[in-house]
Amino acid sequence: MNWDETAIHRWLEPLAGRGGEIAEVFGETLTELALEWRDGALGEARVRREEGTSARRRAGGTEQFVFVPGAGDAAVREAVRALRAQTGSEPLPIRSARPADAGAAEAFSDGERWARRLSAILSRHAPRHAFSFRLRETERRVVADGRRTSLAVRRLVSLEGRFTAASRAGDEERPFAFHAPASEGVADELKAQLCAAAAPRDRAVPAPAGETDVILSGGCAAVFFHEVLGHPLEADAEASPLRGLPDARVTVSDLDVSDDPRRLDLFGGYEHDDEGTAPRSVRLVASGLLGSRLTDRAHAPAAGSTGHGRRAGPSDPPLPRGSNVIVAAGSADADEMLRRLGNGLWIEEFAGGSVEIASGSFRLRFPRARRVRRGRLADELSGGVLAGELLPALGAIEPALGREVRACRSFGWCARGGQVVPVGGAAPEVLLRRLMVRPAP
Amino acid sequence: MKSEDLARELGRRARGQWELYRKTAESRETEFSRALERTAWRREEGWAARWWQAGAPRFAAASSPQGLLLALEEAGRLPVAESPAPEWPTRVAAAPAETSVEPPPDVFEDLARAVATASRGDATLGALSVRRGRATERIVNAAGLDVAQEHRTLDGVALCIGRRGSRAHEARLPFRWDGAPDLDALARRLADAASLPLSDRPAPFSSGQWLLDPAVGAAVLAAAAPLFLAERPPRWVLRGQAAARLLSVVDDASRDAAFDGEGVATRRTPLVENGQLVGRLHDLETARRAGADPTGHGVRPSFRLPPRAGPRRLFFETETPATPAALLASVTKGLFASALTAPVRVDVGADRYEIEFTGISIVAGRAGGPVAGARSTGRLSELLRRISGVSTDTVFFPSPYPAGSPTLLVERASFE
Repeated sequence: MNWDETAIHRWLEPLAGRGGEIAEVFGETLTELALEWRDGALGEARVRREEGTSARRRAGGTEQFVFVPGAGDAAVREAVRALRAQTGSEPLPIRSARPADAGAAEAFSDGERWARRLSAILSRHAPRHAFSFRLRETERRVVADGRRTSLAVRRLVSLEGRFTAASRAGDEERPFAFHAPASEGVADELKAQLCAAAAPRDRAVPAPAGETDVILSGGCAAVFFHEVLGHPLEADAEASPLRGLPDARVTVSDLDVSDDPRRLDLFGGYEHDDEGTAPRSVRLVASGLLGSRLTDRAHAPAAGSTGHGRRAGPSDPPLPRGSNVIVAAGSADADEMLRRLGNGLWIEEFAGGSVEIASGSFRLRFPRARRVRRGRLADELSGGVLAGELLPALGAIEPALGREVRACRSFGWCARGGQVVPVGGAAPEVLLRRLMVRPAP
Repeated sequence: MKSEDLARELGRRARGQWELYRKTAESRETEFSRALERTAWRREEGWAARWWQAGAPRFAAASSPQGLLLALEEAGRLPVAESPAPEWPTRVAAAPAETSVEPPPDVFEDLARAVATASRGDATLGALSVRRGRATERIVNAAGLDVAQEHRTLDGVALCIGRRGSRAHEARLPFRWDGAPDLDALARRLADAASLPLSDRPAPFSSGQWLLDPAVGAAVLAAAAPLFLAERPPRWVLRGQAAARLLSVVDDASRDAAFDGEGVATRRTPLVENGQLVGRLHDLETARRAGADPTGHGVRPSFRLPPRAGPRRLFFETETPATPAALLASVTKGLFASALTAPVRVDVGADRYEIEFTGISIVAGRAGGPVAGARSTGRLSELLRRISGVSTDTVFFPSPYPAGSPTLLVERASFE
């Protein structure tokens, strides 16, 4: 993306003349490698290379949005020309585009290395399986009216699927998901998590139905807070029950939850959001008091955007979205958490979740759990659904938090309004009382 | 770079075993809410190639021919296991002339009024996004296939919020109009989905008859679609009837497109006839493995993914339909499922389903009170075999392919 930024600024200038108006150009190049394994054989390899450019103008309550393929000079000119036509501005002069950027043609370097390394890991630790692997590299550039140009580059790794593991009652099929930014140690971390997921277990009995107390462990409390705090505090969640409660006490004073895109070690991190804003950490709950909203430029108060304007891709306009949910550590160890729980469920992973904003009701699907009896881990339980309502659930959090914060690597993608963005989180053990649970059908 | 250059490159890599796909699309979208009025124009382009290099399948996609050439190179280096190539179709069809896309109709105010009327003031239209689009596809392959076709769509998403006292509920419904916009039907669905859950009344019966709105019936059919793709039908189907004798299931996308995502001609494919499973949906790959003819169900959800066997326009049928009023009159005690409150969950292999819905109780053929939320779980086989009435009011819903159902009557179901 070798853009003539001075020219783009000049083209955008007349589109955002007054305060509060937004005019911007967003470009993305994406390269994705997708590999499909079945029982040790790499059965399918897919490579995707996409480039796209969008231009947007927002003034008051109206917005014009344009998307074209390509991320070169010609695509930018086409997008801005179409945007100016939509807004009734003077068209750009026709001029031939500069030659395409040679940098965009760089080859995807480590696809073969990942294919070989994962083949070895899967064959050794989960030889019977059906897995999908994705290595996605994105480069996103934003040129906006009166702002410095931003560039954000991300490389993300995802492995999802099912494998057959030996259990004490015979073979059983287990789901597995791992999402992390690509880094030196990520293959080793993936191997360690797969080994842990393949450990022998007792035969699972159906999860109970009814009201129960729960410990969310293994970092999966981040998924819970993503649903009950993250989505309701997105600035465009007009029907949110948290909207009219600034600084209200909603939970125990020991609890601090923030949304921090700057955590680049987590799946949802980024250096600039998709409007070119450098993000900041936003306190969702501070000492039990409800914190701030997650904003983009269109929904920002005087303090400006918090850097949470995110898009699934260049063909989508930005929305205020969450990124990485971080729950601050407490002081209890796992044994103390179990003692406090007494009887209930110990859940280490969620396979999905949703919240209905207006009513505040949420549900979280867990693929397995452990029953806890008299403060000790007991039966293996099969999957189920945890459900509740947002404010009562926040009020039911115990003032005891685990001392170790763990990254939740099974948590990776969040869909809203048809837009899927990477998200992540890290959390200690969290104890909640009186949630409804029911077994999976 | 042109298609011919890419075809030459594919021929060099995989002589006689390749396919090249190109899609160009344009859409106009308007989105209205209380806070925002957005107009969007999008021009999209996608290229995709599938080829068997040294006997191993590979796939590459890009937004430009230059990008595709790079992706071909990268995918060609990966150590993929060998697998036989399918038998490629051969056909030639002229490309349609490209035409422009008009802006979608502005129906926000009309729909907002219709929702308010249908919900008696309990629900308001929060946001509406309507998109009109055109897409042109061209597929060529090593066997000489060269076909092109155009699709036109008018679809969108509506968000409705129901409020009564301190209670609120949000309903978000995707819709698709094959002809003129049917605002009254959409308004009724939105009003029911947003306002019925406000009643706070649970299901008054733990079992009874169950009347399914076309939207619920279509969602059940879409969730059960893996049944029509399985290499081996599950044991519960092999043991006997797959569904009630009066029920048929058909996939027929011939009104949408002349051929599928692999260039195979579209045709009507019976899947269940008189309650018996009689067919399966095939793309080129599954047809090769099964030693059967492809049925024209190679589906590309996007140019980014290789074609896979899947439904294209799936619907229930019967030879002995009844009117919706007749089905309602035949309910002595039961529930009408008007809208879903969670996605339908079906496990075809394990023969299980779970449906969460909102609706209305029915006693002696008359509507009782609203039911805020109810859940029915059980065996999928029993649900399909207990369908005792099929109506005439078939409606299609995006799921994401069109899935159609009339009002259905299930003779017995349990509710929580």
